[in-house]
Amino acid sequence: MEFMKKILVIIPAYNEEGSVGKVAEEVYTHLSQAEVLVVNDGSTDLTSEIAKSKGAIVLDLPFNLGIGGAMQAGYQYAKEKGYDIAIQVDADGQHDPKEIGKLLKALEEKKIDMAIGSRFIGDSEYKSSIMRRIGIAIFSGVISMIVRQKITDPTSGFRASNRKAIQLFASDYPQDYPEPEVVILLHQCHLKMGEVPVGMSERYSGESSITKIKSIYYMIKVLLAIFVDCFKKPPLLEQER
Amino acid sequence: MLIKIQIIVGVLSIVLLLITFELIRKKRLREEYAILWLFTGGVVLVFSLWPEYLLSQFFVRITGIFYLSAVVLIAFFFLLLIVFHFSVVISKLTSQNKELAQQYALLALELNELKKNGFPPAQASSINV
Repeated sequence: MEFMKKILVIIPAYNEEGSVGKVAEEVYTHLSQAEVLVVNDGSTDLTSEIAKSKGAIVLDLPFNLGIGGAMQAGYQYAKEKGYDIAIQVDADGQHDPKEIGKLLKALEEKKIDMAIGSRFIGDSEYKSSIMRRIGIAIFSGVISMIVRQKITDPTSGFRASNRKAIQLFASDYPQDYPEPEVVILLHQCHLKMGEVPVGMSERYSGESSITKIKSIYYMIKVLLAIFVDCFKKPPLLEQER
Repeated sequence: MLIKIQIIVGVLSIVLLLITFELIRKKRLREEYAILWLFTGGVVLVFSLWPEYLLSQFFVRITGIFYLSAVVLIAFFFLLLIVFHFSVVISKLTSQNKELAQQYALLALELNELKKNGFPPAQASSINV
């Protein structure tokens, strides 16, 4: 099967023993040709063991690096092992592995380097608090203005990337607020991205880590990070082949 | 009054210099970090030796502040430099630490897979030799 693309699904997980197994299982049922890589970001629970028991490849980081460092390690694995496409899926179960097909299709048909699964395009029935909606609207506005392209859901961590983007992420990946910052990074490197409407469910376990007062603080920090990113020197893309 | 301040500041800067030298000698402080400290100690020492002349007088004239305040201000400025230098160093260390953790995890995974599947024959024989 020469024409089949090598696909890797990266699931960054930090103390997600309650949901990581189910997510990995679902990926295998809906996308049988893909490999699943769980990046265990220094969990203190059974995340690693459960993921292994479901047949996933598990990359155990020696200590907690945060989502940015963990995702980057996943992309480094994808680069090293020659995967053509890497998909990132949250371990908490809010991304439905059934929807991965849509991301892959968009990557192929729109000839883009990264496809972002958006909750806010089309017939979205995603429910969230007003505060959260306002926050995301502001992010979306600022980021869309910077990259001169409508990005409705810049905080979505449900994404598919091609080989070119994988190589970029393996060497340069934002560490603080990777989801919105990656959008800026891609723009600076002249890589193309696009959004795909996807349904997202509520998390299996736990509340969103962002509460009301904290969300304002979070927003300011992210906007600051984005602002600083605009002045960073864009990394040079290395050429393969 | 001035002579008292001079002695205190002078002794403090000499102690600072001695501690820095001693730490470098014992290799507990890298020269990279020591240079700023040596410089700080040196400048403050110069100020305590010749309060009426040189830099201090010049400094006092252009800023219009008193001798002790000038010394404190200059020491504070150097401390700022040192702290800033530390922030840069910590950022670099954090990023190197992250890279090490990632490479370690990737190698550990690779090694485990090799162990599970058995080493390829060519490599196994080269290990035996």
